[in-house]
Amino acid sequence: MVGQNKSKKRGAASRETPVEKAPLFPKSKGIDVPSDPEYSSDDEEEVEEGDFDEMLKEMASDQGIGSDDAGDSLDEEEVEEGDDESDIHSSDIEGASSEDGDDESEDGDESEESDNEEDSSLVRVASRSTDDQHTAVDSQDEVEGGSEEELDEVNMDKLTIRDFVGDIQGWKEYRKTLPQIDAGYASDSSTEDPANTIGNVPIEWYEDYPHIGYDLDGKRILKPATADELDKFLANMDDPDVFRTARDEVNQQDVKLSEEEIDIIRRIQGGNIPDADYNPYEETVEWFTSKTMQMPLSGAPLAKRGFIPSKWEHKRVMKIVRAIRQGRITRSSAPSKDAKPRFYDVWEKAEQNEDDSAQQKRLARRARMPAPRLTLPSHDESYHPPAEYLPSEAERQSWLDEDPDHRKKNYLPQDFGSLRSVPGYERFVQERFQRCLDLYLAPRMLKRTTQLNAEELMPKLPDPRDLRPFPSVESLVYLGHTGRVRSISVDPTGLWLLSGSDDGTVRLWEIVSGRCAKIWDLKETVHMVAWCPSADVCVFAAAAGSRTVIVIPSELCDEHKRLLSEELVRAGFNSAAQAEEGEEEDDSLPVSWDMPTSAEQATGIHVSVTMHKTVKSVMWHRRGDYLATLTSEEGGSSVLIHQVSKHKSQRPFRKLKGAVQSIMFHPTKPWFLVATQRYVRIYNLMQQALIKTLQPGVKWISSIDVHPQGDNVIVGSYDKKLSWFDLDLSVKPYRSIRYHRQAIRQVQYSRKFPLFATTSDDGTIQVYHGMVYQDLNQNPLIVPLKILRGHEIRNSLGVLDCLFHPIQPWLISSGADGTIRLWT
Amino acid sequence: MGRIKKKFTEGSSRTYTTRNRALRKLQVSLSDFRRLCILKGIYPVEPRSQKKANRGSSKPTTFYYAKDIQLLLSEPLIDKFREHKVFLRKLQRALGKDDLTRAKGLEARRPEYTLDHLVIERYPTFVDALHDLDDALCMVFLFATMPAVDQVNNEAVEDCKRLSTEFMHYVIHSHSLRKVFLSIKGIYYQAEIQGQSITWIVPYQFSQNVPLDVDFKVMSTFLRFYRTLLGFVNYRLYTMSNLTYPPKVDQLMDDSAAGLGSLRIESRRVEDLIKGVQSTDSDDTNAPEVAMSKQMKQRMDTLGSKIKKIVAATAEDTISSVPAYEAVGSSGEADIDDDARQTNSLLFAKQVFFLSREVPRYSLEFVIRAFGGRLGWDQTSGGGSPYAENDNSITVQISDRPVQGHQFLNRIYVQPQWVYDSINARRLLEVDDYLIGQPPPAHLSPFVEYAEGDYVPEAASKLAAAAGFEGEVTNLKPEDRDQAEDEEEDEEDVADIDGASADEDALDSDDEEEEEDEDAIAEKQHQKQLLAERAGVSFSEYQQKQGAKPKAGKAAAGKKRSKAEVEEEERQKIAISMLSKKKRKVVNRTQADADKKAKDVNTFKTRKAQAAAKSKKKN
Repeated sequence: MVGQNKSKKRGAASRETPVEKAPLFPKSKGIDVPSDPEYSSDDEEEVEEGDFDEMLKEMASDQGIGSDDAGDSLDEEEVEEGDDESDIHSSDIEGASSEDGDDESEDGDESEESDNEEDSSLVRVASRSTDDQHTAVDSQDEVEGGSEEELDEVNMDKLTIRDFVGDIQGWKEYRKTLPQIDAGYASDSSTEDPANTIGNVPIEWYEDYPHIGYDLDGKRILKPATADELDKFLANMDDPDVFRTARDEVNQQDVKLSEEEIDIIRRIQGGNIPDADYNPYEETVEWFTSKTMQMPLSGAPLAKRGFIPSKWEHKRVMKIVRAIRQGRITRSSAPSKDAKPRFYDVWEKAEQNEDDSAQQKRLARRARMPAPRLTLPSHDESYHPPAEYLPSEAERQSWLDEDPDHRKKNYLPQDFGSLRSVPGYERFVQERFQRCLDLYLAPRMLKRTTQLNAEELMPKLPDPRDLRPFPSVESLVYLGHTGRVRSISVDPTGLWLLSGSDDGTVRLWEIVSGRCAKIWDLKETVHMVAWCPSADVCVFAAAAGSRTVIVIPSELCDEHKRLLSEELVRAGFNSAAQAEEGEEEDDSLPVSWDMPTSAEQATGIHVSVTMHKTVKSVMWHRRGDYLATLTSEEGGSSVLIHQVSKHKSQRPFRKLKGAVQSIMFHPTKPWFLVATQRYVRIYNLMQQALIKTLQPGVKWISSIDVHPQGDNVIVGSYDKKLSWFDLDLSVKPYRSIRYHRQAIRQVQYSRKFPLFATTSDDGTIQVYHGMVYQDLNQNPLIVPLKILRGHEIRNSLGVLDCLFHPIQPWLISSGADGTIRLWT
Repeated sequence: MGRIKKKFTEGSSRTYTTRNRALRKLQVSLSDFRRLCILKGIYPVEPRSQKKANRGSSKPTTFYYAKDIQLLLSEPLIDKFREHKVFLRKLQRALGKDDLTRAKGLEARRPEYTLDHLVIERYPTFVDALHDLDDALCMVFLFATMPAVDQVNNEAVEDCKRLSTEFMHYVIHSHSLRKVFLSIKGIYYQAEIQGQSITWIVPYQFSQNVPLDVDFKVMSTFLRFYRTLLGFVNYRLYTMSNLTYPPKVDQLMDDSAAGLGSLRIESRRVEDLIKGVQSTDSDDTNAPEVAMSKQMKQRMDTLGSKIKKIVAATAEDTISSVPAYEAVGSSGEADIDDDARQTNSLLFAKQVFFLSREVPRYSLEFVIRAFGGRLGWDQTSGGGSPYAENDNSITVQISDRPVQGHQFLNRIYVQPQWVYDSINARRLLEVDDYLIGQPPPAHLSPFVEYAEGDYVPEAASKLAAAAGFEGEVTNLKPEDRDQAEDEEEDEEDVADIDGASADEDALDSDDEEEEEDEDAIAEKQHQKQLLAERAGVSFSEYQQKQGAKPKAGKAAAGKKRSKAEVEEEERQKIAISMLSKKKRKVVNRTQADADKKAKDVNTFKTRKAQAAAKSKKKN
């Protein structure tokens, strides 16, 4: 920038004819650099030699370090007071300079161009020179100031121009080859040339070699010969300048430091400024003086606003005044003495004035939900708890691993031993904060918890010991069956027990001894065995596969009974033959009454009734003549009623809703019970009408039984529930009991005692006391008595069937484990 | 046919309102609403049926009582909040325009509000306020220990310090401290003031950890109210016990970190006297019948000031002679004495303590003085100690170091836990267990109440047995015996605690023991009857008490199962199957609770056995 500026000025100056000003030069030059001895000494001749470069440099440095001269020039300045003002106004000159009719006006353009940052010392020096010259300068100071500056510029240009005055052409050429601008002290391309030409190579690389690099031709540059240590030492001893020599490693030579350089080193060592000439405590220069000027800067008349009070200010003030008058603005007063104290007795008034209504109000408000109080700490929060309250390592770890929100306690019990070793609790603030959140964010709800005593809730039941007899211990196990024993039946005399099993056999046991008296092999799974309830005959029916056989175990009965039985069973063949002759058999019934094979007849099987589907259940009517069967097919034909004496079958229901689970004759009335999956329907067979539909409210009924007096029914279900119905009361259960853990398989009343039992897949049999009173107003009493355990669970099947002994208070049960057990 | 009812005009949808609806109604921002809720003590509620309350929507929402919101509508604080909002806006504008003068002026006129009316509104009577003081005390005591950080207002901290010290002074003065517990979280104190149990926790005095995950805005809103509340409560407590409020701050003592001693508690009686005189004075002048000479009038006028002068002189005397904290002549002393006799609240009246520098003075000074003790402390733990370490009147020195170097012969050296345990036991305990250099006995929570079948730690039963408190001992006895058995069992096999054979053995031994002890028990009972008679308990009452006791014993003995009992249990199970579903659930739950309790007790026992075995091995 500086260089460019200069060249510009020079260009401008060259166009002038500044001959008149030539005599000015020597004087101003002498004053210009009074502090620089070098400059003053050989300045003249350098200019003479035409070393233009050097001169430019000098000028640049003059401008940069101009403050050096300030001190010197100041003295002179004080001599002439008038100049001070001129300094201030040195910048606004343009208009004034044009007014000048003198030769300075020629330089007007230049003054415009002149850099504002131009050093003011130069300006001042120049101005004094002009004072000397032009004694008759105009009285206006600013004009004077402006002209001084221009003069200064002119002076500098003179300096250059004088050299080329004779040889303009040469100068022009020179101008084309102006040198590169010096990049400065810190730059890499420093102008000083190293004497060593090896380049920028660390010198220590050549430590062990005789040379210190290579020249342009690739030849080695040898190290300068060095004396050996002894010679060096001797030389050092002799040399008085040894202390001011330093080794220049790059150039491989000893350098003797000059006096100035040593001085600089000393100054640096002493923590002083290296430059000896620099004065850090220079006197202040008052550039902008506090002295008022005598004359105005311009002759323009004073503006009106200068002496008339401002209207707008007046408006603003009035606004405030009005606000004060209206009391909107008050003085911020000191706290008055009669101010209320911060705390006083707030409750005094309230408690005096409180009447009943207020109290009620208060109570009502209090009845709202108060926040629960914090739980008080227990022993394990102690800093030194008993040893048993400290968690084990595993518990500790599990507490640490747990999510902080899910921890039961928000602290880990710890034993610190003594009070001095107890640290601060880290989460104290968090816990208080949590409490705060709970207080204002957590929804509250009143939960009334009644402290119920379990004993109070327990039903008042008679002691089971008072309700004896009931089966309570296992007495006998009948072993022999190899498959599940699905069904058992006791003969009306109570001596013999029949059992049908998955192994395809029906066995006859003597109850008291557990001896197996006879085995019938029916080849197919026996689902049901049932003794005929009539005491006159000795007949039982067994359902094996799709066949129902009627058997007379002739070994058990006397001659009379046997004959009666045979008559009952076999009479049908004749009547059937007659019927066939007389009328067509109803084809729709899927039943055929057959005479079994002679081999079977020998074992006592007298009749075989074959149906299309597997027979699930066989039930005798109490008279012993009718037999109901349930097959696994859908619809109305699943339930059939057979008359044994006539070998006739009939279908009581044309249509049946749902899959039938169980069927039953009513013990006293001509009713027939059909249990479908959800409901139990009771039909009157005489009237052929539906009487009732019981709704046990279970998902899947498994079994039903009717109380021997006929007014109560129990229903067991696969969903573990037992329902007791009082037929006189309602179609909804009088009581539902859920004790078993698995599906209930069978429910049974005792015919003689007020007992009933349920068997389940959980391997247990539950015996209840089920007393039904004659008095209709009294509800049946149901008391659980005993859980009998003994049967094993096979394939998640437990106890499949149970039966009360007709005479004794005994219970016989059969299970999936192939055993039959007697409980007495 | 009536008119068709509009939906949502009555019932649940009227009783409750959602938060958003409340905001719309009140026309406030959410943060203002929350602040209002905190200050007014309004909380969300859980309606029985969300769907009904929220007009058929089952979206999860926060509900408030509509009445509560209605109440908020007329709250003057809402206006104050609005004013504050406007103020903030103005201030911000002024600052944004660099109009500092205006900003300064605005700042000087910053709108302020007080919460006095909320105190009386939320707590219509003083007892209500006392009842709900727990949270307030906890917060104030916490903030009294807060360091100076950005999140916490320093002024609030200073206020908290002062309020908490005032409250502590009241507790000291009224001797109303009941229980203290050193927990790992801090120190729990329980005081009984006007029949209300007030429990609060004070953190150990370390610089509080200021967490980042805590919203201090919420806490400071709470604190603002709590400070107001505690201030009014303190005022009332002080005036009720005839003390001046606020107590004067002794700047000199305060600067020397005297702690409690920096407040000067003074009786108000003399001032009342002056007030009384002045009021009678004014009454007299108003009365037309009494014609007063000017002289008389003048004399009466000056009387007050004269009395004041005299009183001031005497007060100065007393203050200089008595340690600063001693209240001067309290009128309620007689009542307090009666009370003290019952609760042992002057437990340390005959003791003079000295605190070594390593014990927590901030707690011990409070506690000891609350129980009538006098104490001095090391200079390093604060100035203003009335006793030097070498004072001859000192009877107990509390020290918590492994070895005590020089020991004065005429005093005992105990660990600090002795003080706390003695307070909880309500008598001076034997010092043997608490001597320096040995681990003290376990420190138990005084807040635990033992129900039937609970586990009672050994230390508690020992304490109770030594104290001879009838009621508690009966509860504790069975456990004692169990422990004895445990020890027997431990000798056989530690692991075999549940084994049936062991149970039966234990049962047998039980029977034998009972037979042996029968005579002794009879004798004891007779003695108790005599004692009861002397105490004036009627025979029927005594019998009732006695009747309750053996039952507890029986229940505990029922833990040992015999064959008959197994049967009984089975019957119970069967009976449960007969219950309705609702009742069965209740029964099952209680049963599960009992089982869990039993299990817990069992784990405690095994742990104890293990710990004992460990310590044995070490020995």
